[in-house]
Amino acid sequence: MTRAALLLAFLLAAAPAAGQVVAIVHAKAYPIAPKGVVEDATLVFAGGRIVSLTAHGAPPAGAEIIDAAGRIVTPGLMNGATQLGLGEVLGASDTQDAAVQTGPLGAAFDVHYALNPNSVLLPVARADGLTRAMSYPAGAATAPFSGAGALIRLSPGPDILERPRAAVFAEVGDSTLAKAGGSRAAQWVLLRNALLEAKHYAETSKGEGPRDQLLSRPDVEALGPVISGATPLAITAERESDIREAIALARDLHVRVVILGGSEAWTEALSLAAAHIPVVLDPEANLPQTFDKLGARLDNAALLARNGVTIAFSVSGNGIYLSYNAGLALREGAGLAVANGLPYLDALAAITKGPADIWGVGDHYGRLAAGFDADIVIWDGDPLEPASAPAAVFVRGVRASLTTRQTRLRDRYAPAHAGDGVPPAYR
Amino acid sequence: MNAADSFASRTRAVALAVLVAVLSLTAQEGLAAHKGGAPREGQPPYLRDAFPSTYRPLPRSDTLVTHATILDGAGHRIDDGDILLKDGKIEAIGRGLALPAGAIRTDAHGRWVTPGLIDIHSHDGTYVEPLTTEDANSNDISDLSDPNAAGTWIETAVNPQDPGFTRALAGGVTALQVLPGSDPIFGGRSVVLKPIPAPTVQQMKFPDAPQGLKMACGENPKSEDAEKGRGPTSRQGEIAFIRKAFADARRYRADWDSYLAGKDDKAPKDDPTLDTLAAVLEGRIAVHMHCYRADEMAIMLDLSHELGFRIAAFHHAVEGYKIAPLLVANGVCAVVWSDWWGFKLEALDGLRENAAFIDAAGGCVMMHSDSPQVGQFLSIEAGKAAAAGRRAGLTLAPEHVISWLTSNPAKALGLDGRIGSLEAGKDADLVVWSADPFSVYAHADLVFIDGAVAYDRSDRSRQPTSDFELGRAPSPFE
Repeated sequence: MTRAALLLAFLLAAAPAAGQVVAIVHAKAYPIAPKGVVEDATLVFAGGRIVSLTAHGAPPAGAEIIDAAGRIVTPGLMNGATQLGLGEVLGASDTQDAAVQTGPLGAAFDVHYALNPNSVLLPVARADGLTRAMSYPAGAATAPFSGAGALIRLSPGPDILERPRAAVFAEVGDSTLAKAGGSRAAQWVLLRNALLEAKHYAETSKGEGPRDQLLSRPDVEALGPVISGATPLAITAERESDIREAIALARDLHVRVVILGGSEAWTEALSLAAAHIPVVLDPEANLPQTFDKLGARLDNAALLARNGVTIAFSVSGNGIYLSYNAGLALREGAGLAVANGLPYLDALAAITKGPADIWGVGDHYGRLAAGFDADIVIWDGDPLEPASAPAAVFVRGVRASLTTRQTRLRDRYAPAHAGDGVPPAYR
Repeated sequence: MNAADSFASRTRAVALAVLVAVLSLTAQEGLAAHKGGAPREGQPPYLRDAFPSTYRPLPRSDTLVTHATILDGAGHRIDDGDILLKDGKIEAIGRGLALPAGAIRTDAHGRWVTPGLIDIHSHDGTYVEPLTTEDANSNDISDLSDPNAAGTWIETAVNPQDPGFTRALAGGVTALQVLPGSDPIFGGRSVVLKPIPAPTVQQMKFPDAPQGLKMACGENPKSEDAEKGRGPTSRQGEIAFIRKAFADARRYRADWDSYLAGKDDKAPKDDPTLDTLAAVLEGRIAVHMHCYRADEMAIMLDLSHELGFRIAAFHHAVEGYKIAPLLVANGVCAVVWSDWWGFKLEALDGLRENAAFIDAAGGCVMMHSDSPQVGQFLSIEAGKAAAAGRRAGLTLAPEHVISWLTSNPAKALGLDGRIGSLEAGKDADLVVWSADPFSVYAHADLVFIDGAVAYDRSDRSRQPTSDFELGRAPSPFE
């Protein structure tokens, strides 16, 4: 791309659409709810919100018209668990804010303070169709808690925080045994005790916790919204026994639990459905990576959805995809889930409405419906094929640039430059 | 050190001792008959295969696969094509082939056929899942006792019961190169295997496949050495280290030459490290070089010419696209991911167009896994990489892109005369896919290795399970 073309692309992308009425016409639209597809759809949005979705609808007078020419249109996608905005270079710990190894913080570790809207990882994810994500803590100092996760939107500009402390995260199982002294039994005891202490703290006047309380004041206060039911408790658990313990904990302590990981969650699909416990799973996980994941299967998503469990996706990709390619990997994972038995519409829901409902923003994001945030993607193909890509991405009605640091490098080193006398640094 | 660690170390020490013993023995056997002066019989110890393949193909029938969309790996696409497998080889490929007496027919109408996929960069068998705390302190990915582990042979560590092999097979892989890791500068000798689990690695070993030598540049070795407090702690230190190692190997090789020519009465002291490097200088082992940055690859190319070693391929080559013409001019392949980037400083400039741009320059490019996760989805890797290239304006037909998984890795392994394309006389390694293999929805329905069905998605009796997984995981079908 020439410099002039690049500039033009920037200008187009920067054109503010927030006040303007926009109509995407001739779309193959997936509203997500109601389930189904609307052929030749007209999707109207203005002021950052969706106004209407109609089949064969006439666009309002004066609206900016975008002809989708039969291409697929979906809500902007949401990744159920990432570390977007919390780090730049995985190998350079001074660029990473996703975890603390030492210090006093457990549940009170709150990653939203670290969010970096200028991370070059965000535009890459957005250019792959991602407009929302949970950014969750990778670990905290006090077992078994990891801290509080933040919901982000991938809006251009500094305004990426959707909701701080959208969930408190804890982790049980083999990869974090050492922090709890070496046994998952201790992890569950500590987790139950923490919730009981938080309950007691909420019920007594502040500052009068028992002297032998294990939790610090910041940690016990961070658990208040979990006890009140305002905030879910996300528990990373893979093994069947831990899934069952999580169900029991939700029942005994009356907290809203979300399972993260859930390699063997399919074994407890009916119990999870009955307890209304959703699962944020990795649809690519089918290897016995650890002894907790011996039952990992590619049809985990299909088996859970078939039995009525609400699901969302988070693709680890050796940890790389949690931050890098958090959009592309999500679509690939959803496609693999379809290849392994998950109905197509359920897969689309698992990367839009599913995570929105799980993390508490399903009232305004995750569907193509009147009143919902105008997070919209026009695709150049099937969004669940990783070979496809967005043709246009809107976040709350604003068209986002699809330019990333990577596309700049791509243009600089394109084969068309072969034979240039000028070094790439001058392009 | 706990008991398990101590056991692992002992096991490793024993394995190494056995290796050294075998090498010394074979050297002496070959040279025993000699009496001074005249050239001696035999060859230097560094050219011997200490662990010969005992692989035998699975039971097979001659098979005619019909009505498939065939991508032959040699650049052709045959719609409604047939392919005949006879005695483990490809007998014929074309349209309307007759069913010979005694052969069975497999109707592949609506399905696609490609050569078996080749994963040139795997750690299956040494990065053995499940990973446990035992692996945290000592594992078999590479030996870390010295930055120069050239004397190690990765096949002496491969655990055939790694579930990764069965998953790779189910993903259409019919041959894979297991490489040592990238923490040592010289990682050791690689081995090419067929992903048909068997009790011993020799039974999985691709007969007469050349070994490679894994080398590494950049961040991994220098950080490992800095952490350990020994060995080079900088990129420049790595280069100096390589230069010194090859200088030693040159002398060692000259000593053997001199001895075998009868000019010297005393056989050189056998040295496994120098054996490997001498075999590299002899041109018998090509180097598989882990490098990310373009500038490092350019330095390594110059170094290879100066010291006389041949680089078959740069692995990972995240910045390969920046020097595509240089790679082409040197005849060095690039082994890449579709979209891994950013996780360390030397990987910040990764592009999805990497494979396509190198290909557009006329380069020999291929996908690789490096992890058992990716090792089952190589076809999707190529699909993603090709899509990025098409979006950048390049023409990349499926019949060309399939070479990134088949004929190109075959060439980089020196096995292109035997595998990598569907041509008469070549090994009958092929995959019948349920759909366009580059689609996320495609499954490998049938995987043939040497003409035998090694995997059948519709027949559980033809889906190997590792001993480890047997009777362990819960299953919804039992």
